[in-house]
Amino acid sequence: MSSDKMLSVEDIRGTLKKMKEGVKKQPGLMKSTYRYLDAVSGYVERIATAHDEGKWVATHGTQQPLEILEAMDVRGVFNEFWGVVSDIARLESVPEAMSVSASLGTPGEVCSFFRNMDGLMHAGKWPKSDMFLYAASCCDNVKSFHTLGRRYGIPSFGLDRSFTPYTTHAMEFWKNEYKRLIAFLEEQTGKKMDYDRLKEVVAKSYRLTELHLEIDKLVANVPCPLSPECFSATLVAIRCWPGTQYGIDFLTEVRDELKERVDKGIGATKNERFRVLWSSFTPFFDPTLMGFMQEKYGAVSVADMLSTWRVDENVEANWMLDPDDPLGNLAYRTVLAPGNCQYSTGVDVATVLADKSRRFKVDAAIFQNNWGCKTGAGYGPVIKDELMRQAKVPTLTLHTDILDHTFISRADIESQMDSFFEMVESSEAYQERREVA
Amino acid sequence: MNAPLKALNEMQRLTSPFPESVAVKEWKASGGQVIGWFNPYVPEEIIHAAGMLPFEVTGDNEPVQMQAAEAYIYSNSCSKIRTCWQLQLDGKYGFLDGLVSSSMCDQDKRLYSLFEYYNKLPYMDMVYAPRKRDEEAVQLYLSDLQDFRDRFSLYQWHRFSDAKIAKSIEVYNRGRELMHELYELRKRDRPPVTGAEALEVSKAAVRMPRERFNELMEQLLAEIQSTGREIKKAKRLLVIGSDLHNANQMAALESLDAVVVVDEMDIGIRRAWGQVDTQLPPMEALARYYVLGRPVDKHNWVSDGRLEFIGELVEQYKVDGVVSQDVRFCTYNGWDKFDVKKQMQERGIPLLQIDLEYGHPAGAQMKIRVEAFLEMLQSAA
Repeated sequence: MSSDKMLSVEDIRGTLKKMKEGVKKQPGLMKSTYRYLDAVSGYVERIATAHDEGKWVATHGTQQPLEILEAMDVRGVFNEFWGVVSDIARLESVPEAMSVSASLGTPGEVCSFFRNMDGLMHAGKWPKSDMFLYAASCCDNVKSFHTLGRRYGIPSFGLDRSFTPYTTHAMEFWKNEYKRLIAFLEEQTGKKMDYDRLKEVVAKSYRLTELHLEIDKLVANVPCPLSPECFSATLVAIRCWPGTQYGIDFLTEVRDELKERVDKGIGATKNERFRVLWSSFTPFFDPTLMGFMQEKYGAVSVADMLSTWRVDENVEANWMLDPDDPLGNLAYRTVLAPGNCQYSTGVDVATVLADKSRRFKVDAAIFQNNWGCKTGAGYGPVIKDELMRQAKVPTLTLHTDILDHTFISRADIESQMDSFFEMVESSEAYQERREVA
Repeated sequence: MNAPLKALNEMQRLTSPFPESVAVKEWKASGGQVIGWFNPYVPEEIIHAAGMLPFEVTGDNEPVQMQAAEAYIYSNSCSKIRTCWQLQLDGKYGFLDGLVSSSMCDQDKRLYSLFEYYNKLPYMDMVYAPRKRDEEAVQLYLSDLQDFRDRFSLYQWHRFSDAKIAKSIEVYNRGRELMHELYELRKRDRPPVTGAEALEVSKAAVRMPRERFNELMEQLLAEIQSTGREIKKAKRLLVIGSDLHNANQMAALESLDAVVVVDEMDIGIRRAWGQVDTQLPPMEALARYYVLGRPVDKHNWVSDGRLEFIGELVEQYKVDGVVSQDVRFCTYNGWDKFDVKKQMQERGIPLLQIDLEYGHPAGAQMKIRVEAFLEMLQSAA
């Protein structure tokens, strides 16, 4: 079986460096675009050089307390993000990796974030990892970390937790799971946790949350100041650089540029006709789709589910309950953090998104029913109906694969969007919103 | 040709038509409430102790057309969940007064959400399902069960006592003991029941009052004893994989020269496994049993124990071949597939892996594959 198109760490590293240089010469982009690509590239760089620098590498799934890893010199490879990076670097890599996965007997119905990992590992192109870490979340695929760990002789550790957050025993259990994770990391690395350093890292992570929410408030402005090329900036910062000064500097730069654009009335496009919420995933399988939508329909992506903090009515970061209890803070942070809101009932997720729709003045939602995502397949209609009921926001459901660009064609998407945006424009709710605006 | 088992016939009469059966109608007619549940981390004992009838929400022997359900839950999801929702849309589950689920599986959670949003029942609840098997998981599960008991008491405005739970544990332990006895009899060279019959027994256990089920189980075992019933087939099969409630599907396997002597399903052997410790405080005893007392299942993150358990069943039941029936879109089965195959190869046990849709009858294609598998077993012998 061919593995020519599958990208190794070195391939991704080289491609991202070139892309970074390329954007310097491209006109019309946000200034932060270079910094955004630097953050993506730097993340890959940290992984590529980890062992040479005497650090450890942990491949992990969603809902990991990355601050603990940062404080222990363990560099994370977020398996989902690795698939996204592969798509940014070369779209042909993922389908080939998934063919290899299928040849191993892994069913094509499981999530492609994980099939991509499966295929790349078999081909020896996955970043060399010292351990696998995973956690209870809205995704049953995390079981694969143990499965693959056993297959390749890599130690693994999973963090379990209650489905009901906030009860005293649930939060204590979660905190205790973090202690067990630290014990596991200490055993693997032979290094003791420095709790003073952890406090510093957690404080930086809190600052990053504050910046994220400041950016959210700016993005909620009409016209939306955030362009597609930087749409995932907050997600990259929060998921790849939490607890680091680099992450803070990166989001500070993005925040400042957005503030400047808001002050000057600069929008992502001159003709903002529709404000779009991605009510499940953003289109990782087609990195240019958001730009296309903006150009053809004046449809600006203003919000998404994956980068959603559960916030109070003042939209403030409020997970730092006790600066001297870093693990307790992290336990609370995880409950509120992006990517976690789906670990709940469909009605609850829909309510969070309806609230976000109102804050971001959303006109239309796009729900990507990702082929391998059972959570999405199960709550998509609830979210669609509740967005309409609570916020009068209609939804376009696109049946896609989160990473595989061959699953649905651009032409197919375009024809669905043609009629969808036409329908949105003629709706009473949309016209009322425009009158108010 | 063996005569039908009278006790099993009675179980089937009481649990027909599905799902609002004679037993359910009788229960409701006497003023009782029925609480649906749909995965194995919901302890029936607690619902029973509250004086209600626990009823497992599933499909049954007839395939269900799921088009209407797919307007609510997309087709890239488990067909068991879509079947259950379709049955609800068809009004078949209108008798439920409540629903309890657990966080065991993404798709179970979403079925719960559909009920919550589109058809909210008077009582709805969700409990934690552990993915690990250790003391910490027991303690968290116990705390969550206590919360569940509190909320359930509030729903009834009546706190059911530990003594009642202990009594329910006794009833369910007796049921497990009797079902386990039937599994033991299936180890015989000529087992007394087919796999399809055993599946019907297992389904009846969760669709009727357990006390009545236990009485019928005692009759069934006595009947087997007195009639000397034997199933004469050449090959002995173990069925693993997804929970399947369509006994016709299993009967189709057994229409060939083979008998299913054991299974590895939540709905099957796990329901007949072990005892809740009656020496412990009842809630703790339940927590320990549900987390640690049953064989490792596919929902546990670390499935090494599941693979070992399958290997042990092969030896204990003198199995000639294993049939893995995997409902498509099951993430847990998906990630165990590679290792199941590898382990069976290492043990020299022939394995047939079949991907299928829940509830669908065994079509010609499946029969051809099973026939070929049996021929292969024959030639290997």
